[in-house]
Amino acid sequence: MTDIKTVAVLGAGVMGAGIAAHAANAGARVLLLDIVPKGASSRNALAEGAVARMLKADPAPFMGKAAAKNITCGNLEDDLSALAEADWIIEAVIERPDIKRALYEKVEAVRKDGSVVSSNTSTLPLATLIEGLPERFARDFLIAHFFNPPRYMRLLELVTGPKTRSEAAASVEHFADHHLGKSVVHCKDTPSFIANRLGVFWSQSAVVEAFERGLDIEDVDAIIGRPMGVPKTGVFGLLDLVGLDLIPHVNASLADSLPKGDPFHTINRPVPLIGDLIADGYTGRKGKGGFYRLNRAGGSKVKEAIDLTSGLFRPARKADVPAVKESGKDLRALLSHDSPHGAYAWAVMGPTLAYAASLVGVVADDIVAIDEAMRLGYAWKQGPFELIDRIGADWLAERLAADGHPVPEILKTAAGRTFYRVDAGQLEYLGLDGAYHPVERPEGVLLLEDVKRAAKPVLRNGSAALWDIGDGVACFEFTSKMNSMDPDIMDLLGKAIRRVKRDFKALVIHNEGTNFSVGANLGLALFAANIAAWSEIESLVEQGQETYRALRTAPFPVVAAPSGMALGGGCEIVLHCDAVQAHAETYIGLVECGVGLVPAWGGCTEMLHRWSTLGRLPKGPMPAAATVFETISTATVAKSAAEAKERLFLRPHDGITMNRARLLADAKARALAMVEGYTPPGPREIVLPGPSGRTAMGMAVQGFRKTGKATPYDEIVAGALAAVLSGGDDADVLAPVGEDTLLELERTHFMRLVRTPGTLARVESMLMTGKPLRN
Amino acid sequence: MASYTAPLRDMRFVLYELMEGDRLTDLPGYEEFTRDLIDPILEEAGKIAAEVLHPLNRSGDEEGCTLENGVVRTPTGFPEAYALFREGGWTALSCDPDYGGQGAPHMVDTLISEMICSANLSFGMYPGLSHGAYAALRHHGTHELKDTFLPKLVDGTWSGTMCLTEPQCGTDLGLLRTKADPQDDGSYRLTGTKIFISAGEHDLTENIVHLVLARLPDAPKGIKGISLFVVPKYVPDDNGGVGARNGVQCASIEHKMGIKASSTCVLNFDDATGWLVGAPHKGMRAMFTMMNAARLAVGVQGLGLAEASYQGAVEYARERVQGRALTGAKAPDKAADPILVHPDVRRMLLTQRATVEGCRALAAWVARALDEQTRHPDPVQRQEAEDFVALMTPIVKALLTDMGFETTNHGVQVFGGHGYIREHGMEQYVRDARIAQIYEGTNGIQALDLVGRKLPANAGRSLRFFFHPVSAYIEAKMEVDALAPFVMPLAKAFTRLQQATAQVARTGMANPDEAGAAASDYLRLFGLTALAYLWTRMAEVALPHVGTDDPDGFYAAKVATARFFMERMLPQSGALFSQVMAGGESMMAFDDAAF
Repeated sequence: MTDIKTVAVLGAGVMGAGIAAHAANAGARVLLLDIVPKGASSRNALAEGAVARMLKADPAPFMGKAAAKNITCGNLEDDLSALAEADWIIEAVIERPDIKRALYEKVEAVRKDGSVVSSNTSTLPLATLIEGLPERFARDFLIAHFFNPPRYMRLLELVTGPKTRSEAAASVEHFADHHLGKSVVHCKDTPSFIANRLGVFWSQSAVVEAFERGLDIEDVDAIIGRPMGVPKTGVFGLLDLVGLDLIPHVNASLADSLPKGDPFHTINRPVPLIGDLIADGYTGRKGKGGFYRLNRAGGSKVKEAIDLTSGLFRPARKADVPAVKESGKDLRALLSHDSPHGAYAWAVMGPTLAYAASLVGVVADDIVAIDEAMRLGYAWKQGPFELIDRIGADWLAERLAADGHPVPEILKTAAGRTFYRVDAGQLEYLGLDGAYHPVERPEGVLLLEDVKRAAKPVLRNGSAALWDIGDGVACFEFTSKMNSMDPDIMDLLGKAIRRVKRDFKALVIHNEGTNFSVGANLGLALFAANIAAWSEIESLVEQGQETYRALRTAPFPVVAAPSGMALGGGCEIVLHCDAVQAHAETYIGLVECGVGLVPAWGGCTEMLHRWSTLGRLPKGPMPAAATVFETISTATVAKSAAEAKERLFLRPHDGITMNRARLLADAKARALAMVEGYTPPGPREIVLPGPSGRTAMGMAVQGFRKTGKATPYDEIVAGALAAVLSGGDDADVLAPVGEDTLLELERTHFMRLVRTPGTLARVESMLMTGKPLRN
Repeated sequence: MASYTAPLRDMRFVLYELMEGDRLTDLPGYEEFTRDLIDPILEEAGKIAAEVLHPLNRSGDEEGCTLENGVVRTPTGFPEAYALFREGGWTALSCDPDYGGQGAPHMVDTLISEMICSANLSFGMYPGLSHGAYAALRHHGTHELKDTFLPKLVDGTWSGTMCLTEPQCGTDLGLLRTKADPQDDGSYRLTGTKIFISAGEHDLTENIVHLVLARLPDAPKGIKGISLFVVPKYVPDDNGGVGARNGVQCASIEHKMGIKASSTCVLNFDDATGWLVGAPHKGMRAMFTMMNAARLAVGVQGLGLAEASYQGAVEYARERVQGRALTGAKAPDKAADPILVHPDVRRMLLTQRATVEGCRALAAWVARALDEQTRHPDPVQRQEAEDFVALMTPIVKALLTDMGFETTNHGVQVFGGHGYIREHGMEQYVRDARIAQIYEGTNGIQALDLVGRKLPANAGRSLRFFFHPVSAYIEAKMEVDALAPFVMPLAKAFTRLQQATAQVARTGMANPDEAGAAASDYLRLFGLTALAYLWTRMAEVALPHVGTDDPDGFYAAKVATARFFMERMLPQSGALFSQVMAGGESMMAFDDAAF
């Protein structure tokens, strides 16, 4: 197996550039090549332009500016010889076999032995791609199909040919898994592989049925979205995002390559409106809009939706689907609802699930691969077979039969059973052979969901749980809504610390929610503030301070393993851990100022401590305070774990795991490594600038206020923050400030702000609209 | 018969000393409403209430309304009294000057409404309903409709009604059936039956303007398919006068427990001509905009009757001699002591008094906010006032009408057997008070509105405008020794209310039945705490005057009543708190079949 260190990407289009950026994120040296454009000043213009664009793009393809430096730009005429250094050569050029093969021939001439070549094709069969190429190429060639955007979509479809060396595939798989953080799904060499084969069938059914039934697209998205566990963009919103212009190409390619009897042909019915829209420049969000558009005529922004019958835009409205409301979480009730909407839901999902069932053994070996591909490639909460388990395989089979629809074999195999089951704590899936097989995790993957299936929690309440994850390590999990921090979490955390001290060696704080924690439960806090329950609020602040301090000073190592957002109180708990093993996609920050508050669960104190001990700053008490002030007053959120290190939300010694599935195992290993000779950190004592520093920070904010960067209320909040970070009135260079004083300052200023109408208005806006109020 | 005198001294205390009534003139549009203008208005209102309306109260109750050939006759003296009332400009008092009104503040209007309700609630129903119709048209009517109807409603030559209820739909207006068919000329033809229509037909005015909820042919089902229409008894002619008789007939009048001089009609609409008010299908929204004011007005009915009953009871307790004081004769020269000496009679009288004066202050507080909501130049202040009014409306409606019923019952009890017979009019107050707990949204619905709508809205934002000022007040006055007998119990009740609020919000979120089960007790706890706050502030205002400039003992009595409230009424908050915290399990788990 080759250890991949150097990656070459051929083709600097959206996908090629995105893949290059992500390989750079993974720490590889990357060569990005494209053709020499006619008349350009630089022969590398395409690659250089792509990198420059990506540095400005949002969501950012790069995890940090440093990553961009790993990319060397070049062109396919002058720099082919450089491919000799590449361990993995990724082709991402136009979907034309002749062009691809011509390029492969050039690559084959220069690449080194043992290097791997892959194509990012989404439609072409592997067999076609290696036609006429030498044996050495065929042995080192495979398809590695990324999803857009490559940094964020976790699915990588891998297709190998009969001649592909197993070490070649293993090298790519290992790199993709460990370094790119992808879940690799092995696919058979069939058209469009798994996710797009099924995903396009699903979206095409949804569009055609909606069009032919003359439904409103808002209603369609409400039916096809949330109730099915599909992102709320549904289908029309999704196609706007992907680009309408791709639809005819993708459909044509599938129609060409799929066998005659494939059900896709029956739903590949023309939708003339889509052609008209594309011709008018309505190619989706990248164009003038798509099925939805923002009409800016008349100075105001009005969201409009297309009427599928008239083909005209009209103001968008809120979806109103009684079938969805009445069926609640009961998917079967929705699919059998006696209404045009219920009939539509069935017309799309019945055939889609049947299609999925018919593809087992055709596109992949088992249902697990298909479910995984749809979850990670299309962001479905549940894969098709999990959905079938929800409605019942028997029910689906009966309904299909009643419609005169052929019933796929595997549905018959599943008769009276479910596709997944838990046996003795082990998740199992139903194979084509009619027997259950364990769902295997790759080596080194430890999932809390598996732990939870097999055991009872050590401790639990309504908002959190403590689990035994083996080898003397416990895992503390948040289970509250959105993993927001509330009194119950604090309460259980206090108990967990005592329990771990007695029965375990180390503690990991981790959960498998979309977000680690979005911070304190603001709804609870605002309600308490509205009824003037000040002492309750103050004791909540104190409880948090004490619990977090107990976590930091506990006589065992504590490792946080965050993924997704770790904001406010969710950031502060991370700051109090001995070490952090963060998922690369961790978005961490102290955002309290955005809602008119200051961090008061020790967040100010810990950040001051970090910057004064670890920050490479000029001497004196001011630079650390000023840096922390800038970070917190602007509610800065690091956009990746790498960026979090720059902000010292993570310390230099904290670890980053690229693959989310490996996060818990990595965190556990880190915690165990710290057990031997562990001593908890001592009390914080920090040299701070005192009143003069407070004045200086205040003046900085006044400056922002004058230039319009800060609002009047920003100034008040920043003033309170400055009062905390400067260490209070008694602080000066000769009198370091202890953590008790700092925590009291945090508390005092938090309580002062929480009583102010400006703060309450901010919190309310955040809760009601999800948007910060700039008052 | 018990007499009535308008409690002008206490009203001025509430208006000027407690609620900064002198600063009403700060609000745009109220510049002229100085003491010099307000005081004579209050005095005049007191006169007409005591001298014109109150003498007709008992006779009106005895005689009731009669229906003959579709025509309702009000009791003897009512048409003449109405003419005087109208000519005195009282129908126009709080109306828009653009339509001939006098533009008086809600605070002033609330005090005058109280007097009218004390003197003769049945009479007050007629102009009261007109005002509801006026408000609906003014907010939602077209220019043409406003020009046609408003001046007549304001000067009182025409009266109004609100036609909501139908035989099959009371609280749940989603079941409403009356239909409205659009006509080519832009008008509508309405057909259906409305019941319980107060002032639906009578002989006081030359025309009656019905505001009717009905469904358009294309209306969605349920509450979202209701539109509002104006349907006059006589279609106005081209000169704005009374024209052709419209297709609306009074089929019968109800025979009721109380407010017998108020005609409560079954109205049949048969292809009656009407016009749309507001947008199609938005009838409920139109109703909501005036609901707060209407519900506050019903609360004031409870207050008015409680005041009248208290006056009657005090007079009787001074005159009636029976038995001797427990500690020895107080009036040895008489055959017996006046019953005023007996502790239990004093308990009842002080309960009445503390209730009436506290509720008057509460009504004024909310009316002041209503003035700010409509008139304040700062939109933030307007919004805050609106939130406060929205929060307090169900409390004022339910608390004041419940207390109105309880207080009038105390009045009967003080009279003993003489309270139970009709002669003294004390039992009439009870009967009249009873309806106010029911109409304009039953008090159970008010409690649900409070816990189900007002509490959770915007994570409890409207609560802020009650809890913050009260909390700040308690913090500020905690150390004032003289106020300790008031602030301490207030603080205790306030903490209970905070805890109960958090509990209702928390359990109600998980299980709406829990909020529903707590609702009525919670509303009462809220109301008592609000009264405790106002009693503390009244004591604070009165204390400096006691023994210095208090020739008639008004301030001393105020402080003493405040003490009574704190010691003998507010402790109920403890029981209410326990009831709320106990949850609804004992009710909801009860087997339906066992009832």
